Amino acid sequence: MFKDLDPLLHSQLRLAVISLLVSVKKAEFTYLKEQTKSTAGNLSVQLQKLKEADYIEIEKSFKDNYPQTTCKITKVGIKAFEEYVKNLKQYINQ
Amino acid sequence: MEEKEINPAESLAIIKTMIDTAKNKLADDGFFIIFWGWLVFIASLINYASVLAGSEYGYYVWPILMPLGGIFSFIYGHYQTKKEKVKTYIDTYLGYSWTAFIIGMFITLFFMPQHGMKITYFFLLLLYGMATLISGGLLNFKPLVIGSLFSFAFAIVSVFVSEREQFLCIAAALLFSYIIPGHLLKSKFKSQVNV
Repeated sequence: MFKDLDPLLHSQLRLAVISLLVSVKKAEFTYLKEQTKSTAGNLSVQLQKLKEADYIEIEKSFKDNYPQTTCKITKVGIKAFEEYVKNLKQYINQ
Repeated sequence: MEEKEINPAESLAIIKTMIDTAKNKLADDGFFIIFWGWLVFIASLINYASVLAGSEYGYYVWPILMPLGGIFSFIYGHYQTKKEKVKTYIDTYLGYSWTAFIIGMFITLFFMPQHGMKITYFFLLLLYGMATLISGGLLNFKPLVIGSLFSFAFAIVSVFVSEREQFLCIAAALLFSYIIPGHLLKSKFKSQVNV
């Protein structure tokens, strides 16, 4: 019996964001936007969903008087990503 | 990137692409390696030249140039950190290895009056080699790894030469371990940015 893939991660943009955040310590909103080639609006919405699930932490600060959003994956997020990859393997190897 | 249904194969492709994107980002532009490479290289040669000329004042190049370099590095580093959009784990590890180098260097220099110049330079060269070898490994950058071996080699050489020639050992170690690999790192970093 295949396990269902985490619906929160089984989305193109959210998966891309989590995959990036797994590899780095922290990343700015603009970096995530550039790398995932997404729009600011869509990215904000998806980040918020990941935050509500405690998969990521979002830190808002100011840099040279401009608002700056920095994202960081949490332990819950890492665990969810690992679980997602584990379940994904079942589908790939079928 | 739009929101749409994805299949497992596409999921895997997304994960792979994003992890590769983050991993392949060269974490360092070689600025500090080049800057300190040239600074210490020039200081060593000035000191060597002054000893050759029979002057003792050459030594003052260290307490003048090094703190100036330190202040400049601090300001530049602070400014650069603000500009960074992403902080990788490699950035953190590099920071720790160079902090270890700086602490080791200060401790070694602190005991220089007791132990003399000769053994001090020997240890400094070992520290140069260690820091560059670790950095080369972390950045997966061969020229830095190979370059670090020159520092170890010149550390050994420095034991067998006079104090005056030790300055040449330092200059040579800096040339091969810092300046050359540093410039190669910089050009690799630039080519990556331009892609």
